[in-house]
Amino acid sequence: MDDALTLYDETFSSRFLLGTALYPSPQIMREAITASGCEIVTLGLRRQNPADRDGDSLWDCIRQSGRKLLPNTAGCKSAKEAVTLAEMSREIFATPWIKLEVIGDDYNLQPDPFGLVDAAEQLVRRGFKVLPYCTDDLILCQRLLDVGCRVLMPWGAPIGTGQGLLNRYHLRTLRERLPDTVLIIDAGLGAPSQAAEAMEMGFDAVLLNTAVARARDPAAMAAAFAAAIGAGRQASRAGLMHKRQTATPSTPTLGQPFWHQQGE
Amino acid sequence: MTEQTQRIAIAGAGLLGRLLAWRLLRRGHAVTLFEAGALAQPAAAAHTAAGMIAPLSEAVEGGASVYEMGMAALALWPDWLRELHEQSGEAVACQHNGSLIVAHPQDSAELLQFHSDLRHTLADRGRFHWLDGAGIEAHEPDLSGQFQQGLLLEDEAHIDNRHLLRALLQVIRTQRADCRENCAVELQPGAVSINSGQREEFDLVVDCRGVGAKRQWPGLRGVRGEVLAVQTPEVTLQRPVRLMHPRYQLYVVPKANHCFVIGATQIESEDRGPVTLRSNLELGSALYTLNPAFAEARVVELKANLRPALLDNLPRVQHRQGLISANGLYRHGYLLAPVVIGHILALIEGGALPFADALGMEQVA
Repeated sequence: MDDALTLYDETFSSRFLLGTALYPSPQIMREAITASGCEIVTLGLRRQNPADRDGDSLWDCIRQSGRKLLPNTAGCKSAKEAVTLAEMSREIFATPWIKLEVIGDDYNLQPDPFGLVDAAEQLVRRGFKVLPYCTDDLILCQRLLDVGCRVLMPWGAPIGTGQGLLNRYHLRTLRERLPDTVLIIDAGLGAPSQAAEAMEMGFDAVLLNTAVARARDPAAMAAAFAAAIGAGRQASRAGLMHKRQTATPSTPTLGQPFWHQQGE
Repeated sequence: MTEQTQRIAIAGAGLLGRLLAWRLLRRGHAVTLFEAGALAQPAAAAHTAAGMIAPLSEAVEGGASVYEMGMAALALWPDWLRELHEQSGEAVACQHNGSLIVAHPQDSAELLQFHSDLRHTLADRGRFHWLDGAGIEAHEPDLSGQFQQGLLLEDEAHIDNRHLLRALLQVIRTQRADCRENCAVELQPGAVSINSGQREEFDLVVDCRGVGAKRQWPGLRGVRGEVLAVQTPEVTLQRPVRLMHPRYQLYVVPKANHCFVIGATQIESEDRGPVTLRSNLELGSALYTLNPAFAEARVVELKANLRPALLDNLPRVQHRQGLISANGLYRHGYLLAPVVIGHILALIEGGALPFADALGMEQVA
């Protein structure tokens, strides 16, 4: 496969991962999944009383999409809670893949870096393939790699804010310092242009939910993001030019010697 | 079908089942009403609900058809309640005062988004307008100071739903419907099998069981909702208030005797277990931020139930010879029941089918 995305030894042609929450209806969710062309969907189970499988109706609907399921631990605030929920999700969805969320702050839903590393370490030891939702802190990312994560999902901005890439310096640092790690921008994107920018910066993929689910036409917005992610990826591979101060005509202007510029 | 009277079985004595039984009895049909639970303690979502009739707010997610059907229902309810009053002596309150949408200043983006979605969905229809702080104070003095901006949606009402369910049961009984409670049934066209295996034949069977009909409706699911009811004489609201928040969108509906119903969580789960502490905190916190005097309100009820929903969260009526099934009213029971009933009555007695495009399914031979 040309330009495949590889996550834990599985390859995917789409670089768009989509969440399954907040849609006006399951039908619209399915249409958005189809329009996105995504191959991986995330789903939450914390509030669905998973012990009794009470969320089965919607989960079946998500399963029918035929996409790879990436269960998440959204809503967990401690490593212990997240590990318990991950074990439950492995049983219910028969997958060792887990999008690990350990939330440290109620207001901006910021990941708790300490709980996250703790939970990731335990889950890797238990055989999980962990995709941690983390902040853009380099040291945290290194610690997550140290405990065995092979994919990282730094935030662009707090979940559901639609703010885009808030800390480009940190994100660029991550990309430069961890060149061989798969980095997926997860959370905080509101517009396709922001997703394109993340891909242009060299990130490997983008995970979204709110911006698509809350759009007036979620399927159309999913298609728009898919196009932007594809464009950003293509641009990143093609090699973006560096910004410069001086204008350079694309058609050389003959007869205008360089020493005749204004102010010389 | 002609207008001759028929022997009709209705399965499910929730809002749809009771309304349909009443309307059919008025037309002279012989009605047998089967309910799996106890009639006096309805397990139906309609009993747990807050009883809002909100065609504008619900159109934002449900789309233009919800608005159109909801407006038709809003126009029907006063006539139906008057007829019910004449027949039963029960005056069920239905206040058509509009509803107020507010957001705290830090969440004003939610309000702007709601307004723009509303305008887009309704395409210049519907009566709603902005209120400033003074306007909010004039409409709802007990919210004054908490909010500087709000939206007044005029075409919205709320109904005393539990009184309605009681009054309907009373009138159904006095009109000599055969009411069978604690009686789970299996349905076939023209026949009902009671749990003992005994089979009874009817001219027509109508399935109004909601989530109870899950095995008959592919794709039907229950969506958990949790509500809190409190009582306090310290706060007065004239109309339902919806609080927009990025994570929770909750409404407070004023009821008789200084009671308020606060709802509702919306969780994709068929868990019927008690309300969780998290949901309780969400509902309670939202209420408290409307007016701190709610802190001393008495909690009179915490309830969870399941809304029956189809994949697009819109209702459908399915018809084949001898069996009509209506389901998927989701969180739109009081908003859409009258038009669903109108559709079913037209299927039974002939005539133009109201909202055939929205509610109908291809007739099954």
